[in-house]
Order: sequence, then C-alpha cells, then structure tokens
Amino acid sequence: MTTVLDAAMALLLQTGFVDGLIEFVQPDVLVEVVVRGLAKSAIYIMIAAGLTLIFGLLGVLNFAHGALTMIGAYLGGVVMVLTVGSGTGPWARLALFFVAMAVVFGLLAALGGSIEIALIRPLYDRAPIYQILLTFGVTLILEELVRIVVQFYGLQPIAEWQEALGTIPVFLDTSHSLGPISVRGLALFEILLGVLTVAAIWGFLTHTRYGLFIRAGSEDSEMAEALGIDVRRVFTVVFALGAGIAGIAGTLLMWDQVWGASVPLAADALLPAFVVVIIGGLGTFRGTVVGGLIVGLVDATTTWWFQNVVVTWTWLPEVAIFLILVVALIVRPQGIYGVEEVGGH
Amino acid sequence: MAPTNRRRGWPEVALLDVDDIESYYGESHILEGVSLSVERGEVVALMGRNGVGKTTTLRSILQLTPPRSGSVRYDGTELVGLRTHEVAEMGVGWIPEDRRIFSQLTVEENLRVSVPDGSDVADALSVAFETFPILDERREQAAGTLSGGQQQMLALGRGLVGDNDLLLVDEPSEGLAPQIVADVADALAATASETTMLLVEQNLPLALDLADRFYVLDNGRVVDDGDADAVSADDERLRRYLSA
Repeated sequence: MTTVLDAAMALLLQTGFVDGLIEFVQPDVLVEVVVRGLAKSAIYIMIAAGLTLIFGLLGVLNFAHGALTMIGAYLGGVVMVLTVGSGTGPWARLALFFVAMAVVFGLLAALGGSIEIALIRPLYDRAPIYQILLTFGVTLILEELVRIVVQFYGLQPIAEWQEALGTIPVFLDTSHSLGPISVRGLALFEILLGVLTVAAIWGFLTHTRYGLFIRAGSEDSEMAEALGIDVRRVFTVVFALGAGIAGIAGTLLMWDQVWGASVPLAADALLPAFVVVIIGGLGTFRGTVVGGLIVGLVDATTTWWFQNVVVTWTWLPEVAIFLILVVALIVRPQGIYGVEEVGGH
Repeated sequence: MAPTNRRRGWPEVALLDVDDIESYYGESHILEGVSLSVERGEVVALMGRNGVGKTTTLRSILQLTPPRSGSVRYDGTELVGLRTHEVAEMGVGWIPEDRRIFSQLTVEENLRVSVPDGSDVADALSVAFETFPILDERREQAAGTLSGGQQQMLALGRGLVGDNDLLLVDEPSEGLAPQIVADVADALAATASETTMLLVEQNLPLALDLADRFYVLDNGRVVDDGDADAVSADDERLRRYLSA
C-alpha cells in the first residue's frame, strides 16, 4: 500500500502537479481564473440562451444556432468595419458596438422568424428527426453562403476577420490591474454583457405578458392555445428572439481573439452551447445559466492547469468540457433543472 | 315572451350547436355523427363509458381534434376551420380531464395566462379569488405543489377569469378522494352559476345534481338524452350505457 502511495506521490511531483496546486491556490491566481471563467461563462450562456428558449417552447433542437451566431459575428463586423475609422475614439467604438448589436439583433431576428415560418412550421407534426435534419441542412446552406460572400470580398473564411477584431476599443483590448490581478478589459466587458443579457431575458420571461405566454407554452402548448394564446405566433417570436440573441453573442465574439468572425465559428459555437443546455437541462433558462457557469469555470480552470502545468496538452480543456457532459449524462441525464419532457406541440 | 331556462330564468337560446360531427384520431373513427346543443345558462352533462368519445367531443368543439365533417356553431358562428385560440377568444373555455395546470407557474400566473387581452387583470383575478378563496391564499405558490382538489379549483378558476360564456369541463372529479369530490362539486356549482357548462362526468349523482339536461354517448353516437330531473343515478335507462 505504502509503495503505491509513494509511487503516486512521485508521479504527481514528477508531473508538476503539486507545484501547480500550490500555485493555483494563490489568491491572485484563483481570482484571475474565476474572472476568466466568468467571461467564458458569459459567452457560453449568451450562445446557449437562444438555443434553450427555442427548445423549451418549440421542442426543436436548432442545429442552425451556431450558424446564426457566426452570421451575427460577420454582420457585427460589417457594421463596425464600415463605421469605425482610424480616428474613431474608444468610447465611440463602444457606442457603435451597441448600434451593431441592435442592428444584428434585428436582422437575425428577421432571419430566424422567416426560417421558422417557411421551413420549420410545416414540420411540427413530424418526428423530431425531421426538424434536426432540416436545421442541420440550414446550417450547411448558411455556412456555404457566408463562405461565398466572404471569399467574394477577398477574406479568408477559415481565419478570424482581423479587420473586425481591430475595431475593438483600446481599453477593452488591454489588461487592467485590479489589485493583485491583471484582467483583460474584454473579459470584464463580456461578463457585463452576459449579466445584462441574462437579466434582460429573465426580466422578459418573468415580468412581461409575452414571457408568461412563453413559459406557459413551454409547459403545455396545447393547453396554452386552448386558453386563447396564439401559440403559432409565439413560436415565431421565440425563434426570432433566439436567433437575435445568437446574433448578439456573435457580435461579441467578433471582438474576441479566441473566437473571431470566421465560418468555422458556426461549429465552434454550437458544440459548447449544446453541452451547456444539456448539463443545465434542455429547455430551462435557469439551467442554461447554471450550466454555462459550470462549463465556463471548469473550462478556465482546466485551461490554466494545462497551460501552466501540462504545457504540451493545451487541447485538453476542451476534452474536460465534454467529460463534464459525459458525467452529467450518466448522473442526471435530464440535466440539473431539466424535466423528462419539454416543449412539444 | 321568449321561453326561459328553468333554473336561471335566462332565455333559451342555443349557445352551442353541434351538428352531425365525425371525428377521427388518425384512421380511428371516434365520433360517428354526434349532435347536441347547449342553451345559454344551462348545465348539460355528457355521459358514457370510457372511450365512447366524450373527450373527443369536447376536443372537436375546441378544434383541437377538428371534425372531418359536420358543423359546430357557437353563438351563431361556425367554429370548424377556426384555430383553437380563436375558439377560446370567442369565449369557449376548457377544463381538461387531467386539469393540465402549468405546474411551474404560480397560481396567480396560471390565472393571468387566461385573462383575455384588454381585460382588467385585477378584476378578472378577483372573480376567481372570490369564488375560490383558497387560490388567493396560495397565489404565490407553484401550482404543481397544490393538492388535487386545489388544482381542480385552479383549473375552474382559469375558466372563470377567461371571461368565458361556455365552459367545457371534462371529468372534474376523476382521480380525487371522495371528500375532495364534495369540494369540487361545490366549486362546480359555484362556477355553473356564472357560466354555461357542458360537463363530461362519470360520477352520475354529481352530474345529474348539477345538470339541467344530459346526453349519453355510446360508441361515438348519442344514444339518449333528456332532462336531468327526469332520471336518477340508479335509473336503468342510464345504467345500461354507463356500467362497465
């Protein structure tokens, strides 16, 4: 027994685990990891929020959600690149970002609403696989359309759009000292925007009549219809809203060097969004917030570990996210706040 | 002077007129030419064994299971071809068999969902709270945590705040303990005093006590109808169609 423990301790010392642990629990490192984790959480929640709203009410697993996020990133970039010049000050850039966000929200909401009316509505009475195949097909079409347009304008669709990245205000692009820790301005901005987005969606769902209709329809759409709610119209509004929120998330990602506006963003955004909504419970907004927090904090923690301790395994943080998913599916397959069945019509 | 409803003195005008409807679930032929009418102010019981088409009749009126042929006229307007929310907006309320309250919403939110656009919410809610004071006491409670009897009152309250002229009530006593059924009977009587009601109920004494008239369904057809006062729960005329 002693031999096994000695061997394990020797292995941990050899791999730098103990040294890493001592460094990790230093307050400044911990706070920095938490802040980075919250920034990642904010992004994950913003991407996943639309997905979960749509699934919660319509029962449609929207595989086009990542593509809508990607289009949001490009459209946000277009607004910023067209309006920001070299002499535009940082606060003006920030103000223009919010203009871009509003424009993208409107355009993506219109696109989402059109997709729901024209393509998804005829399939509600069919098995879920039809909606999955349809939205997957929409993803492929949107990705190829964007690829064609991007290449037409001389951009490389695989690489992040540098010109759009360059429109970020200087105070978001630099690191700031907060006591003993150093945090990039964009991380704080992402947390702020994430909090505002969550608060706005929460307020809409819990303090508006339409939000009440959505929550009622998510539980039992047939009963909601029998109480006089035009559930078909609510479906369209929610799909439009979900697409619009995906667009807002995309606009934010356009400024983030880890993501950036590129065609592969569609898949890059979709996968963590699915992980978040599955962990939190498909179709529950509260679950998405909690799931996003868990995934973001675990992601930041594992990223720190594998960048500071196991330097050669930098891809492992992504594996960690999927390990959480596997554990969640085994322990609580319906998710933290999930119920056995949601959505439906 | 126009003829009046015996119990309430309301004029006898057919609020609901179901004429020869044929309804299906897929290829299963459920209703084979059902006709019935409900006059304004009446309580009409729709009785029959399990599976004879009572719930389907209510669903067909609401256009949740639209009839393939026949006519459903409400206050003179043809409902066939309309969508369910349009039928509901016209004043047809549904209290379904399993109550189907929104369990994750609070009691008050369940009632708010039913208040028609443009109506005064506080006024509408007060109707339900005055009829069922227990709902007022539990207004902030998640509806899923209510007892079965309270959930039934909430379902009936939802029908009341909906400003409905006609309530389609499906098996309100089913699955409830006998002492709770008495409370539900009181709740139904209170609700019936406010509105016209088409009541599906297998509890014969309860149904006949509330109803002015009755219809009996068997195998998707109306096989008997008459005044509720003219029959009793032990009457062989009803028993042969209602006993298992």
